[in-house]
Amino acid sequence: MNARDDACAREQTMLLTGNHAVAWAARLARPQVVPVYPITPQTPVLEQLTEFQAAGQFDAEVITPESEHSVMAACIPASLAGVRVFTATASQGLLLMHELLHYASGARAPIVMANVNRTLASPWAFWPDQTDSLAQRDTGWIQFYSETAQESLDTVLHAFRIAERVLLPAMVNHDAFYVSHALEPVRVPDPSLVDAFLPPYAPEHRLDTAKVESWGNVVTQDMFCRHRQALGEAMDRVPDAALDADRAWRELTGRGYGLVEDYRCDGARMVIVTMGSMCGTAREAVDALRDAGEAVGLLKVRLFRPLPVTLLRDALAGVPDVLVLDRDYSPGHGGILHQELRAALYGLSAAPRIHGYLAGVGGVNVSPEKIVEFVHRAQAGDARPESVWVR
Amino acid sequence: MLQIIIQGRGGQGAQTAGNLLAMAFFAEGRQVQSFASYGGARRGTPVSSYIRVADRPIRVRCDIERADAILCFDASLLAGPLLATAGPETLIVVNSARTPAQFAADLPGRRVIPVDGLSISRRHGLGRIVNSALLGGFARAIAAPQLPVLTRVLGDEAPKLHDENIAACEEGYRSVEQQLGVMAA
Repeated sequence: MNARDDACAREQTMLLTGNHAVAWAARLARPQVVPVYPITPQTPVLEQLTEFQAAGQFDAEVITPESEHSVMAACIPASLAGVRVFTATASQGLLLMHELLHYASGARAPIVMANVNRTLASPWAFWPDQTDSLAQRDTGWIQFYSETAQESLDTVLHAFRIAERVLLPAMVNHDAFYVSHALEPVRVPDPSLVDAFLPPYAPEHRLDTAKVESWGNVVTQDMFCRHRQALGEAMDRVPDAALDADRAWRELTGRGYGLVEDYRCDGARMVIVTMGSMCGTAREAVDALRDAGEAVGLLKVRLFRPLPVTLLRDALAGVPDVLVLDRDYSPGHGGILHQELRAALYGLSAAPRIHGYLAGVGGVNVSPEKIVEFVHRAQAGDARPESVWVR
Repeated sequence: MLQIIIQGRGGQGAQTAGNLLAMAFFAEGRQVQSFASYGGARRGTPVSSYIRVADRPIRVRCDIERADAILCFDASLLAGPLLATAGPETLIVVNSARTPAQFAADLPGRRVIPVDGLSISRRHGLGRIVNSALLGGFARAIAAPQLPVLTRVLGDEAPKLHDENIAACEEGYRSVEQQLGVMAA
């Protein structure tokens, strides 16, 4: 048995919620600074990390400032000092960070943050809804959406490797309740395996009183414009870095996800496109439809920023109908993934008809049977430019 | 796939009971998924806990709309929304001192098995904490998980009063066994 097989053999299967799986990932990644503020339904991440710390199993400086804005204000200089930084939030907490999310990407601070997708007030609620993080799509953060507790654990580790390679912050999102609070079997890798995958963060440039550099200076128009282009070039490097991380992880653990995942799309006449926990439910719907002789597949979007436009165009070219299911809502515009897909596929020869359904907004239950109904309804109707509310 | 709903009120332990049940099924080598949907987890508001058990990885991620079995912590919740998730075959175990005959009269066509969780828990010094007694009764009603596996999980997970929780679980189990024996006779 070589060292790698040995590490795999020491992988443990535990019953964990998605949030505790994220806390395990953070523990395994060995961040040195973790500023964090509690908010439902993210709080179990913080609780588990502080329990690890109290037990001497997590050697990070956990900082608990008075708000999420201050959390991000602590994350940025810590990251620029050249240490690995992790945090977690949800919903209103993410919105309170908004100003500094832009700052973090502009400062090229490779912070990794877990976000639990939860409805935004008003009115007040605690249900799964992805509008919170989708509303941050222009902040310059890499964004992943995860379907299971296992995928959340693995993706937090991928996110550190990708973020530190391209020097951009990364957000790993999972849905409230269906992932955050769902207890399920999770394979927790051996620390030695994670150490091999994720070497210590050692940036070339960092805040250091012995070797003086500075960040955030006042710049000219030209310098600002070139800075933004450099940020865009870093985003352009994300897909390769993410595929490399996914490949390396698959070699170590046998688990890989891709940036988008094609599930039973061979010869499909209609492909469902969605993100997060609804993908699991959609798999059941696809199996039921395939069993009934209907050629329907699922395309799961795992990486949302940068949007893997080429992969989406390759996967969907020649498919007659695409049904986008959005658990989010942009008033005055519709489903955010729907509109992103329309833009990504525009001008494609043999472009699909794109149907956009607002399904599950505010946590409304979406069962496999409902998804089968949505597929039949889309097949029978025209594809409209606007998104359609469905229940 | 076995789909179970545990219905209680915030603070009664329905969410904990769901996780304990999932742990016991997992200890038997089954695949499990357990989550609670709560209205901000305020004390006294209805809390639903959903448990799925299967022999292959569980992919579906939505609420359970039709349960194979229901464990209800509070008989006042055995009404419209919860009953809408029950079919004629759904086994319902309810925390109540009332008799099976009373439930049969009130809810004709339903399979309701009462367990007097409060009396059992008090006898074992657990006060109003009824989940061990109810889980024992529920495990007998649906014939899974096995009692020794369930009591081992309760013993491992109980923050205190391990022996008392195990004894309450066993008494809940026996109380349903007795009822089922009477029904079969």
